[in-house]
Amino acid sequence: MLDTLAQLFDPGLFWEYRTILLAGAAVTLYVFAFAAVLAVVLGLVACLLRLSAWRGLRWIGTFYAELCRNTPEYVLLIWIHYVPPLVLTWLTGVRVNFVPVVSAVLALGLASSGYFTETFRAGILAVPRGHVEAARSLAMSRGLTLRRIILPQAVRRMLPEAMNQFISLFKATTLVSLISVTDLMYQVSIITQEQMRPLPLYSGTAFLYFGVIFAMSVSVRRFTEQWRRRGWA
Amino acid sequence: MRGPARLIYPGSVSQGHPSPDGEPVVRVVDLHKSFGPLEVLKGVSFELRRGDVVSIIGASGSGKSTLLRCINHLETPTSGEVWVMGRPMGFRVDAAGRQRPESMAQVNRVRMDVAMVFQQFNLWPHMTALENIVEAPIRVRGMSPAEAREVAMRYLTKVDLVEKRDEYPARLSGGQQQRVAIARALAMQPKVMLFDEPTSALDPELIGEVLDVMEKLAREGMTMLVVTHEMGFAREASDRILFLHNGLIEEDGPPGDVLIQPKSERCRQFLSKVLH
Repeated sequence: MLDTLAQLFDPGLFWEYRTILLAGAAVTLYVFAFAAVLAVVLGLVACLLRLSAWRGLRWIGTFYAELCRNTPEYVLLIWIHYVPPLVLTWLTGVRVNFVPVVSAVLALGLASSGYFTETFRAGILAVPRGHVEAARSLAMSRGLTLRRIILPQAVRRMLPEAMNQFISLFKATTLVSLISVTDLMYQVSIITQEQMRPLPLYSGTAFLYFGVIFAMSVSVRRFTEQWRRRGWA
Repeated sequence: MRGPARLIYPGSVSQGHPSPDGEPVVRVVDLHKSFGPLEVLKGVSFELRRGDVVSIIGASGSGKSTLLRCINHLETPTSGEVWVMGRPMGFRVDAAGRQRPESMAQVNRVRMDVAMVFQQFNLWPHMTALENIVEAPIRVRGMSPAEAREVAMRYLTKVDLVEKRDEYPARLSGGQQQRVAIARALAMQPKVMLFDEPTSALDPELIGEVLDVMEKLAREGMTMLVVTHEMGFAREASDRILFLHNGLIEEDGPPGDVLIQPKSERCRQFLSKVLH
């Protein structure tokens, strides 16, 4: 029993496979970064639709957000990888396939954007009406008001919540090996098959993910602290 | 369509500043505003000439703030007209002579001549005092940053806050925030300033510094429309006082008339409450 436990950690094993593991980590970061950007952009668009004056647009925004939020990432990932290419093939008459990385970014970005819709909405609604009226009274257009007055304040308010979404998204990237994206988890499972030593590999990987996410949240917290000291956010 | 319809105050002429002929700075014609079933303004008409300082008094709920907010189109009137410097605010007249809502871009062009100071200051908390002031001149008026900064410093000097230019609003007292807000409004170089109860959210000891700035502006000839509960300011600084009751102008005249010998019973009652 103790023997097995002693094998939980084996840094030497990681050192041995360092190049392949680093390559995997790079893919993980890459998928995360693109999916995060996509999630933020789509989340903002859906949020603006939800806050629109037109009922039709509000309905579309709400439907989109609910669809994304209430579908498991696992299912969405496989669905995006296989169904849209079929539809595109049928529409264009040319055989279309998604590169796994593209499907991964699309699926994770969509899934996460549903949550960002709500985060943005809460952040924007928390900006006092008077700040918007002040901008309007100075003849600032809607777009300018959104960009210069509402979003800078909303983003600062949203940051702790957005941090949680990013962490969830980062964890969700572990699913993408399912459609054979060669991320960190994919490489670990390949090495496991080679070495037949899953315990040290998986505990080491857990440790790696923890380290990255922890470093991210600490640095963001530093950031917000600085804002707070300047008297706002 | 144009021309003052149904002036409720026959014979009252603004005093103090001579009003040159030509377009009034603000003309309000038979303004109505309802929120759902509640009719807040029931047909208000008046004119503001260049250099006029007009105070609007009245009990809460009489429609004072709504009237002010209709003038710069923060509220859309239910019917009636608002003209600023001879230009319609928020409407146009179509070929059939009907009133149509105007595009936001056009509203904003007219709005550039109307600046507003709010009860809650409404400074943007993520910008310093100076950044608050230069924002609209740069991005709306298209001033160069250097020019806008120069204008901003001029108005910060006027409100006596040059040394606070790099502070965030959270570090300023209420009175200082309101003075920055006044500088921000002035930096757009408007033709008229609207004040919506500018001292009502202030601690008593901070009211004076804001009123001083407003009185200075009045002396310098700024056209001002001030919703206020400060009877001292209304009496000393304004050329004319409007008493609003239930969405209608019940009194309109020089402070001496309205405050000392009001014609309406309701104005007398209101004054006896606020002047103790």
